[in-house]
Amino acid sequence: MRRPTIPALVVVVGLLLLADLLLVNSALAEVAGLAVDAAILVAAGAALAGVGALAIRRGGDVWRRRGDPIGAGLVLGGMAAVLIAGLRPGAAGAADPAVGWLVSALLIPIGATLFGLLFVTTLLAARRSMALRSREATVLVSAALVVLVLLLPLGGAAGAWLSGVASWALEVPIGAVFRGMLIGVAILSAAFAARTILGVGTTDE
Amino acid sequence: MSDRRALLARLAPLLLIGVLSVALLPDTGTGLRLPSADILPASEMRAALDRLDEDATVLVGFDPDLGTYAEIRPTVRALVADLLGRGATLAFVSLTPEGRALAIAELGRLERLAVGPGAVVDLGFLPGAEAALVRLARGIGPVPADALVAGLPRETTLSGAAMAVVVGGNDLGARSWVEQVAPRADDLEIVAVAPTVLLPELQPYIASGQLAALLATPRDGAAYRESLDLGALDPVTDPRPGAPPLAILVGVLVAIGVLGEAVGARAAGALRAQRTREVT
Repeated sequence: MRRPTIPALVVVVGLLLLADLLLVNSALAEVAGLAVDAAILVAAGAALAGVGALAIRRGGDVWRRRGDPIGAGLVLGGMAAVLIAGLRPGAAGAADPAVGWLVSALLIPIGATLFGLLFVTTLLAARRSMALRSREATVLVSAALVVLVLLLPLGGAAGAWLSGVASWALEVPIGAVFRGMLIGVAILSAAFAARTILGVGTTDE
Repeated sequence: MSDRRALLARLAPLLLIGVLSVALLPDTGTGLRLPSADILPASEMRAALDRLDEDATVLVGFDPDLGTYAEIRPTVRALVADLLGRGATLAFVSLTPEGRALAIAELGRLERLAVGPGAVVDLGFLPGAEAALVRLARGIGPVPADALVAGLPRETTLSGAAMAVVVGGNDLGARSWVEQVAPRADDLEIVAVAPTVLLPELQPYIASGQLAALLATPRDGAAYRESLDLGALDPVTDPRPGAPPLAILVGVLVAIGVLGEAVGARAAGALRAQRTREVT
C-alpha cells in the first residue's frame, strides 16, 4: 500500500532547504532553521537511543553470562565512569577535568594503540590476500608497493624526484579516478534524491 | 612449524623492539628528510593565514578520528600555535563524538599551557552531522542566527568569522564543509588539515579553489612546520614533532619488504607454473 506521508515530507523539507539556499529571506530562513533543528533533534535522539540500546544489550550479556561478559562489563564500566564524571553534582559536563582525564589518559591512548596494530594486521591481510592468488589482490598490493616507494622520506635530488612523481600520480591517475567517482556519486545522489522527491520507486511502495 | 620458523617467531618481538629503538633515535642527518620538496601546500596555507586580520575569529571544525589523528597532530598543533600567534580567536566546534573527545584533550592541553586565555572558545559538540553544519553555516551566512551554539559567549558572534580551519577525519571533514558551509557563507575561507587517505578526495577542491589550502600528508605538514617561527608559542607545538625520518623509513621499508616478498612469491609461482606447462 502506498503511503505518501514520508515522500511528501521529503518534498516539502527538500524544497524549503533549497529555497533557503538560493534566496535571502529572514522568514524563509526561520522556517528552514526549524526544519534543520528538527533534523538535529532526531539525530541526537537516535544517538541517545543507540547508547541506551548498547547499554541494555551489554547489560543482558553480563546478566545472562552470554557472549563476552567481561568485555560487556568493561563497556558498561566505561560508560558509567564517563557519565559519573560528567554528570555528578558540581561537575562541568564534558569540560570537567575528570572527563578530560578519562579521555586523554585512557580513551585516546587505548584507541591509538588499537589503530597502531593496523600496521601489522594490514600487512598480514595483504599477504593472505596474495596467498589466495587473486588478480585484484595482486594489483592492489602492487599499487601499494609503488605508493610506498614514493613515500620514502629521502632528501636531495632523489627525494625531490620522488616527491614530483608522487604529486603527478596524485593529480593525474589517482585524481582522475577520484574525480570520476565523485561525479558518479553526485549524479547517482541527485537521481536518487529526485526519485525520492517525486515519489518514484521509494521504499514506501 | 620448522625449528627455523619457531626460532624466528620467538625472536620476532625482540627484533621488533630493536628495530623500533633504532628507528626512534633522533635524526642522524643521513640524507633523510621529512619535509616535502614541494612546498606549494605549505606556502598556500601561509598565504591564506596572511590574509587574516589580526583579531580575526577563526572557526575550528575539529573532527579528526582516533585512527588517523596521530598522523596530523603535529601539524594541527603547529597551525593552532600559528593562528594564536597572529592574534586570532579560535572557536572550536565538533560534529562527531570522536572529534569531540580529541577536542577535549587538545583544549585541556591548551588550558594547561595557559596559552592565549580568552583566545580559545569551546563551542562544544553539535549533534546532527551535516544538518548541524547547515545550522552552523546559518550563523556565519548573510542572516546570522542568534544564540547559535550553547558555548558561544553572548558578546561573540560567528558572523564575523573570516576563516574555517577544518581538522578532518574519516567520518566528517573538509568535503562536508565545502558542500554544506561554503555555499551558505560566501566570505568564509576554508582551509583544512586531513590525513593522507583523504587527499585524493580533497584534491579537486584545491584545484577548484573551494579549499584555500590543504595540508594532507606528513611531508606537507613537516614543510609547513619548518616554515614557522613561533617564538613564545613554541610549547604549543608537539614536543616531539612527528616521528623522525629514520622511523618512517624503517616502517616503509618493512612494509615494502613484506609486500614485495608476497608479490615476488606470487610472480615466481606463476612463472614456475608456466614453465611446468611448457615442459609437459
